[in-house]
Amino acid sequence: MKGTVYKKSWLFLLATLLLLVLAACSDNTATPDDTETDPESTSTDEEAGGISGELEIQYFVGGYGDTWWKTVIEDFKKAYPDVEVIEHSGPDINTEMNTRWISNDPPDVVYIDGNGSNETQMISDGQLMDISEWAKGITLEDGTPLLDSFISPVEELDGGKIYSLPLVFDTWGVWYDGNWFEEQGWEAPSDFDSWLASMKQIKEDTGIAPFNTTGQYPQYFQRGVLYPAFGAAGGEELLNNLSNGVVEAWESDEALEVMKKVEAIVDAGLVDTGFAAYSHTQSQMNFLLHKNAYIPVGFWLPNEMINDTPEGFEYSFVPTPMNDAGEPMALVPDIRPVAIAQEADNPEAAKAFLEFIFTEKYAQKFAESTGAIMNLKNVDLSSNNNVPAFLKGINEMINNPGAIQIYERSTPTDTKEQEINVEMTNEIKLQIVEILMGRIDAEEFVERITNKAKELRGV
Amino acid sequence: MVQSKKQRYLFLSFCLLPTFIVFCIFTVYPMLGGLYYSFFDWSGTSSVKEFIGFDNYKQLLRDSVIPKAILNDYFFVFVKVLGIMILSLFFAVALTQLRIKEAPFYRIVFFFPNIMSVVVIGILWQFIYDPNIGIVNSLLNAIGLEQWAKPWLGDMTWALPSIAIPAIWAGIGLFMLLLMGGITNISKSLYEAAEIDGASEWQQFWKITVPLIWPQIKTSIIYIVITSLNGSFVLVQVMTGGGPGNATEVLGSYLYQRAFEDFKFGYGAAIGVLILVISLLTVIILQFVLKKEKVEY
Repeated sequence: MKGTVYKKSWLFLLATLLLLVLAACSDNTATPDDTETDPESTSTDEEAGGISGELEIQYFVGGYGDTWWKTVIEDFKKAYPDVEVIEHSGPDINTEMNTRWISNDPPDVVYIDGNGSNETQMISDGQLMDISEWAKGITLEDGTPLLDSFISPVEELDGGKIYSLPLVFDTWGVWYDGNWFEEQGWEAPSDFDSWLASMKQIKEDTGIAPFNTTGQYPQYFQRGVLYPAFGAAGGEELLNNLSNGVVEAWESDEALEVMKKVEAIVDAGLVDTGFAAYSHTQSQMNFLLHKNAYIPVGFWLPNEMINDTPEGFEYSFVPTPMNDAGEPMALVPDIRPVAIAQEADNPEAAKAFLEFIFTEKYAQKFAESTGAIMNLKNVDLSSNNNVPAFLKGINEMINNPGAIQIYERSTPTDTKEQEINVEMTNEIKLQIVEILMGRIDAEEFVERITNKAKELRGV
Repeated sequence: MVQSKKQRYLFLSFCLLPTFIVFCIFTVYPMLGGLYYSFFDWSGTSSVKEFIGFDNYKQLLRDSVIPKAILNDYFFVFVKVLGIMILSLFFAVALTQLRIKEAPFYRIVFFFPNIMSVVVIGILWQFIYDPNIGIVNSLLNAIGLEQWAKPWLGDMTWALPSIAIPAIWAGIGLFMLLLMGGITNISKSLYEAAEIDGASEWQQFWKITVPLIWPQIKTSIIYIVITSLNGSFVLVQVMTGGGPGNATEVLGSYLYQRAFEDFKFGYGAAIGVLILVISLLTVIILQFVLKKEKVEY
């Protein structure tokens, strides 16, 4: 008897499990089938302008945190109650979602930032949707076309195709502690000569090496110092040609002049001797502890180091002063875009979401919660008390043409050119460490990079 | 009951089957996968990949970082085998034969780094080597050797040896325990007999201890070699990221950079195959070099 009851319960359990599995399977298969085979219901939805279904969003959480994303997504859910938003986020999200992209089952919206993501690679692999037509039709609340409202314009490839919208306007510059400078009577530099003089003064007053960067990630120096220096020395064309390994650009006088300035900093003993071993956080920590006075980083620095910032430390930012006296300071934007996946299951909801986030309201919230600027022009941050002072200043500069010069860096679309760009970047990173350690001079730096460019281009 | 040979083989095969299947799924399949991907130009982040035959391997031959990384890998193999074996043998003999009262305590102390994550070890030693706040430079300054103080991990010459020290430090405990196991199994009567015959401590060590724990020594060396060739990556990645320049680059860290930072997964897979080939060849050569008749007294 006992055995029969036992057997029956097993049978019951098995049947329940089977039912659950079937239910789960039918649920999964029913949704796409319904959408595909029931054109009537789809058209009704569209006629009503209703956006519904699941919307998967992938976003990287790094120095900017995730507060802004959480706020935006909550508000979007309220505005579109029929949309079920599924978030995929975290510091390793690009790696975690990699298999989804490989198997052509990506999320609908992707914020391209952080390790393991590369917009150029995604475009060349055909992973991002061509949103040109749709993007050209979007207008802001005041009627301005969205494409005319970006600080750093949208990148059009292959004769006008748009694959992403530039969401975050970040840029590299040098940071210093405003309070410390005020106490010591040091002045923030505005060009290379005043920067060199300032660093010499700081070294004399304190005995520290005023300049620090991370040797483990030499791209901090490449983007934070060399890019603005190249921009200031020869404009956008030189900047792009140098980073893309055009031999003639590396043979130019401007390239050598820039490297001579770097050599002058090294020769004066102004670079922290330990830089080569430091990770970005170590170098930033030393900067916060006043072991150094200047460090090249992007806008995310205050947010990233928020828990380690000593009391009384005032984050102050200046576009890297590698420009000559009398010339405008150079800024090279570091744009973080958002895009829709080519294989998105719900492109309509994805478009609605992108349209939803590009507003002044969310631009204000972005500045408040991330310490960086959303890539929208004419957003008045001056009266927002929650926005850090340094950001108000830089926002004013960006929106005030003439005070600084913005140089856009464009990535090559051609696959071979992309490969050259990657190899050039690696070589530049290697030689940055060499020159900052004082092992080579400006001439040798330029010679090595020129040789690499020649090798890559078969010259 | 007498079992036929066939039945015995069938039974053994049946017992080994699950292990064999698991081995195939988790070891053979990924290895073959790596080999397969090494023939493609693939970013590793999309379904688009192009078959390029042996191009990745041809590029390996032209890549100037590869020889440097191989040399650095062998540097780790050499110093770790030497450092770990000498020190673990020394501590194993000391803790088993010197009748130290605190031996159990020391066993725990020496084994402690083995239970720590390699990442934690790397970060800990980064602080030790820090040129501004690190204990190494502070000590040198305190004893009047300021001229020897340097940015250890940021120095082209010293970065590699500086990583090797924590690598040795973290490896001693495990092998010390392995050798201690071997030493405690040696019959005391052998040492007593040797002592009666007038053999010195040193002679006893070379003529009794070393030959009788040779299987453990051999296993340890092979294990250290394999873990060095494949495992130095983590410590390098955490402590220097392969820098300064390529001064501490090992094949593992270079693979990581090419595959996951430069999005050249196919090329990264080719480097992975190279690591496999180098490891296999090294172990095969080692088996011959370390071949020695089993000693019994």
